Amino acid sequence: MAMKGKNCVAIAADRRFGVQLMTLSTDFQKIFEINPRTYIGLPGLATDVQTLSELFRFKTNLYKLREERDISPKTFSHMVSSTLYEKRFGNYFCEPVIAGIEKDGSPYICSMDLLGCINHAKDFVVSGTASSQMYGTAEGLWEPELEPEELFETIAQAMMSAVDRDASSGWGVIVHVITQDGVMTKTLKARMD
Amino acid sequence: MEALFGITGKGFVLTASDTTMARSIVIMKHGEDKSRVLNKNTLMMYTGEAGDTVQFAEYVQRNVQLYGIRNGVPLSAHATASYTRRELAKALRTRNPYHVNLLIAGTDPKTETPELYWLDHMASMVKMPFAAQGYASYFCMSTMDRYWKPDMTLEEAKALMQKCIDELKIRFIASLPQFTIKIVDKDGIRDVQL
Amino acid sequence: MADRYSFSLTTFSPSGKLVQIEHALNAVAQGVTSVGIKATNGIVIATEKKTPSFLVDDETQEKVTLISPNIGMVYSGMGPDARVLVDKARKSAQEYKQVYHEEPPTAILVKEIASVMQEFTQSGGVRPFGVSLLIAGFDETGPTLYQVDPSGAFWAWKASAIGKNMVNAKTFLEKRYNETMEIEDAVHTAILTLKEGFEGQMTESTIEIGVAQIVEVTSQEGVKSKVGRFKKLNAPEIKDYLANIA
Repeated sequence: MAMKGKNCVAIAADRRFGVQLMTLSTDFQKIFEINPRTYIGLPGLATDVQTLSELFRFKTNLYKLREERDISPKTFSHMVSSTLYEKRFGNYFCEPVIAGIEKDGSPYICSMDLLGCINHAKDFVVSGTASSQMYGTAEGLWEPELEPEELFETIAQAMMSAVDRDASSGWGVIVHVITQDGVMTKTLKARMD
Repeated sequence: MEALFGITGKGFVLTASDTTMARSIVIMKHGEDKSRVLNKNTLMMYTGEAGDTVQFAEYVQRNVQLYGIRNGVPLSAHATASYTRRELAKALRTRNPYHVNLLIAGTDPKTETPELYWLDHMASMVKMPFAAQGYASYFCMSTMDRYWKPDMTLEEAKALMQKCIDELKIRFIASLPQFTIKIVDKDGIRDVQL
Repeated sequence: MADRYSFSLTTFSPSGKLVQIEHALNAVAQGVTSVGIKATNGIVIATEKKTPSFLVDDETQEKVTLISPNIGMVYSGMGPDARVLVDKARKSAQEYKQVYHEEPPTAILVKEIASVMQEFTQSGGVRPFGVSLLIAGFDETGPTLYQVDPSGAFWAWKASAIGKNMVNAKTFLEKRYNETMEIEDAVHTAILTLKEGFEGQMTESTIEIGVAQIVEVTSQEGVKSKVGRFKKLNAPEIKDYLANIA
């Protein structure tokens, strides 16, 4: 899940890794830093989460060397989109969420389907098994022009409430709030059962 | 019906793998060692489709050894697991993916940090303090959840491993009469008795 | 068999030179002069348009070309070779846009073209390009002017000239150039530079001028923004400039 705030964005994910109904790990990484102003969340099939995170690390490292600058969130989204659509037949099972701050300071969020169709939103985007729950909680809690601290509280509550109503997600939540000055990261305990 | 276990302790990983080779309902062989030594401090255990397992494990084994010869430095457990994951992931989207589930156990000989990686045939990789592969995981993950603690001694780890195997004996429909127990620590890889 | 004999024609001479590349530079030195000038708020590139006979319809000739909305280039040397590079550059720009939904930065496109030219100095069965290029672009980092040579070497310039009259033109530019020059001034200076050693009458149909500068555009949603754009001056515009000079 990602949310826009006033000159800030937040991105959050749960921390469960499991095979069907058996939970194997509760510190699984699904959100990856692309650069200090761009983060990507990759919910979906674990193997593709890992393959894609490695692929985007590769591509953005190369981009930085070639262009001598960090990739902007918007440009990165199109890179992700192209990467996913490249595998139109035989796709990755992953529906990414991207959050970041543009060069001019404006917040940027988007989500994508597994073929790379980008969805922009003015408020929040969600993806994953608990997406229907997240739509509900985010719709209820989000307000425009939230300050970073308020945005953290909003996304944390929206996430916690949503994953508790989904059997296959939860076991802890991680939140990153991205601002002009830096990133605040917090890991939250959720219901561990 | 195969079972693999790994338990990390203070400076070591204790591993167990069952020794039964079965085809359909028939046991073809007792006493098979379902593991390969990748280098001095890294062990790979495997279950899965007969043929794929040994082929894949030995392929990884030889490449890890080649790395050691070429560079004069052994590949770390994490690097080995990442490399193995990549090979599985590459094969996953071809016409003949490997049907192999793995546990990779290693102990860094300098820092004596034990590491245990769980990989399934879809090439998901997770680092775990203790792990089980196969039906055994349904029975024993909770056992290990309850009794595992950080920095266990070898005796404590052995006792926990015995608990897991006993659990299978009581509740699991298939009989797995014998396990190969190994320890992976800074000195290398050895067979041990529980 | 085919690939066995397709070794590179560009081989080192005992003195350590690649004579094929020097020959290519000679081909450039026989080509028509082009100039490029960086101004504070844009880039100007210009060239002479020569036709073997007045019977040729010079309306159809195009030496200053658009690569992407914000990048243009001009060549000196062999026209057909330049056209191949224009095609490759345009394709590369579109490929970049297809991935990033963003115009390629000037430096990236220049590197792309330069690496194509380098490849043709080392591959089998090909010869180096008989052209030098002046590439003008306006991107996030501002206006930039690059020159690319047949070897694949490239530099960013404040002002440069390539082709037959490049030595005189560069001396002229060294005298006339100053850092505070704006586009209007730069166009004048470019025309004056071309006039040095110009054969025949300079008219709006015998020179071509391209300018990279900031313009205001309106998006589909009606949002106005300022972006870098490259455009060719049309005949009346060039005529006005020429009238001002005379």
